[in-house]
Amino acid sequence: MKILVTVKEVAEVEDEFEISGDDIAEQYLEYDLNEWDDYAVEEAVQISEEAEDVEVVTATIGPERAEETIRMALAKGADRAVRVWDDDIESASYLDVEAKAELLAAVVEEEDPDLVLTGVQAGDESNGATGVTLAEKIGFEWAAVVNQLDLDIEGGVANVHRELEGGVEELTEVESPAVLTIQSGINEPRYASLRGIRQAQSKPLDVQTLDDIGLDADVLESPLAQTDLYEPESEGDATVWNGDAEETAGQLAEFLRDKGVVEG
Amino acid sequence: MDFDLPDEHRMIRETVRDFCAEEIEPIAQDIEDEHRFPAEVFDELADLDVMGVPVAEEYGGLGGDYLMYALVAEELGRVSGSIGLSFVAHTSLGAKPIEAFGSEEQKERWLRPLAEGDGLGAWALTEPGSGSDASNMQTTAQREGDGYVLDGTKQFITNASVAESILVKAVTDPEAGYDGISTFVVDPAADDGFSVSTVWDKMGLNASPTCEIQFEDCWVPEERLLGGEGEGWTQTMKTLDGGRISIAALSVGLAQGAFDAAREYAREREQFGHAISKFDAIRDKLVSMDRKIERARLLTQKAATTYDAGGDATRLSSLAKLDASEISREVAEDAVQVLGGYGYTEDFSPQRFYRDAKLMEIGEGTSEIQHAILGDELGL
Repeated sequence: MKILVTVKEVAEVEDEFEISGDDIAEQYLEYDLNEWDDYAVEEAVQISEEAEDVEVVTATIGPERAEETIRMALAKGADRAVRVWDDDIESASYLDVEAKAELLAAVVEEEDPDLVLTGVQAGDESNGATGVTLAEKIGFEWAAVVNQLDLDIEGGVANVHRELEGGVEELTEVESPAVLTIQSGINEPRYASLRGIRQAQSKPLDVQTLDDIGLDADVLESPLAQTDLYEPESEGDATVWNGDAEETAGQLAEFLRDKGVVEG
Repeated sequence: MDFDLPDEHRMIRETVRDFCAEEIEPIAQDIEDEHRFPAEVFDELADLDVMGVPVAEEYGGLGGDYLMYALVAEELGRVSGSIGLSFVAHTSLGAKPIEAFGSEEQKERWLRPLAEGDGLGAWALTEPGSGSDASNMQTTAQREGDGYVLDGTKQFITNASVAESILVKAVTDPEAGYDGISTFVVDPAADDGFSVSTVWDKMGLNASPTCEIQFEDCWVPEERLLGGEGEGWTQTMKTLDGGRISIAALSVGLAQGAFDAAREYAREREQFGHAISKFDAIRDKLVSMDRKIERARLLTQKAATTYDAGGDATRLSSLAKLDASEISREVAEDAVQVLGGYGYTEDFSPQRFYRDAKLMEIGEGTSEIQHAILGDELGL
């Protein structure tokens, strides 16, 4: 059995930062594995530890800088990695969900996995759409926002709990091959062991160009363009009353009347 | 000259840093207050393969170099001096000498459990009346049957009360001076006549046990002799080169931890309408702290790199230990000052780093002894 996990390196922003052009200035950014993908990697690695002959392959769209993040996933137990990048992707103005899903679909076609795990969303752009779009493109069954997974490998069925709005849980059966988008909290991601980190240095990490995966630069064209990046004006306003309840309750009531929240 | 860390080393530093921030930092002051050795943290460190970083893989270690070991020691020191100290005493003094001087049987029996993190190592050199001058050692080991009988008292022994094994220096030939000292592996759980007489309350580092231990008619079989009779002092000299690098790294970590706390506070604390970091008095202090840390770290990593390349690291490791331990105390003191009244309270970490840093100028050769070593190295 083969599990493909899509992993993304995301930029994390310090509390204080400056915007330079259409982006946050580089010196305020730190790069790390997307939080949700960490859970997806852990889920795949746990499956590979519980069952025989499970290969875990990670797939990433990202520049060379991302290799350290990818190696961290290898250190946690993934067997090998594919990284898709070339000059065309580097110079693309905006890589939208459609384009990412197209690239990942080409990797899926090449790898032919039984199960694809993605994070629910990425911490930077938070589209929350790549996993499901990928499933549509490759014609796999899918389940989004999975917070519990019980896999029946023999029967080719994934029993999943999905987290829906308003605290509702759905229990679903998904037939493999399938794409599952993994919610944070599904497991407790491990720290990479130091031995794992050492071994990860020699695990295969293949770099593939658009050409290698049978695509051309047209796939990168997007109807979307980023036009601006700005910090919204903060409009928060809080009033704090100090004193005992008898005194402050009256002040609160008066305030609510003033603001028109209550009448009378 | 390449000052960039290899990828593997950087990733290991990141992982240990994450672990320290999540698992150790939140309890760092509590374990000091409780004077409690945190065995559970060492179990977790063992799971991460931290306990055998510079020990060969064939004996259960990670097979890393001293540069990697120094990075790990620094990260531990950055959150907890106690955990860092017990870790470096275990590694440099408890485990490495068995790897360097032990027989194959001794490495399997005594090194493997230490490298795999099943137990903690310790070593016992200092005595109540013999510290920097080991020529006055009173602990004796006399031949009896197919073993030796140990008698004497050892002082300030890190980890002794929680150790799986202790490497004990004892005089086998009182006529031979330094050449009459030998090393024995003592099993605290099994050997009759061994006891821990005191666990000291200290100025700092109270989650790392420092003990006085006694040997009274303590018989050990001859296969516990590490190396040959009379080789104990030469072994000690070789052991301490590596030990000093780890104390230097730990000191850099303490300094970095204190600096981080001071920098964060100075950027947030406002007086006279500005963050105090904007005032020359505080800004200059922080810049000078950062300068000292970077300098000591460079020296430490140079000593580690030289040691790894097999060169003579005596001068560099002594310089690194001397410089890092002194700047660690200075930086921690400045951090207390930056935080003012808060810095003097136990709710903030600088006082802890200040207490912990002081030991670094004393343990594994005082600053005064480092000056003596460095004078010798310079032919003075």
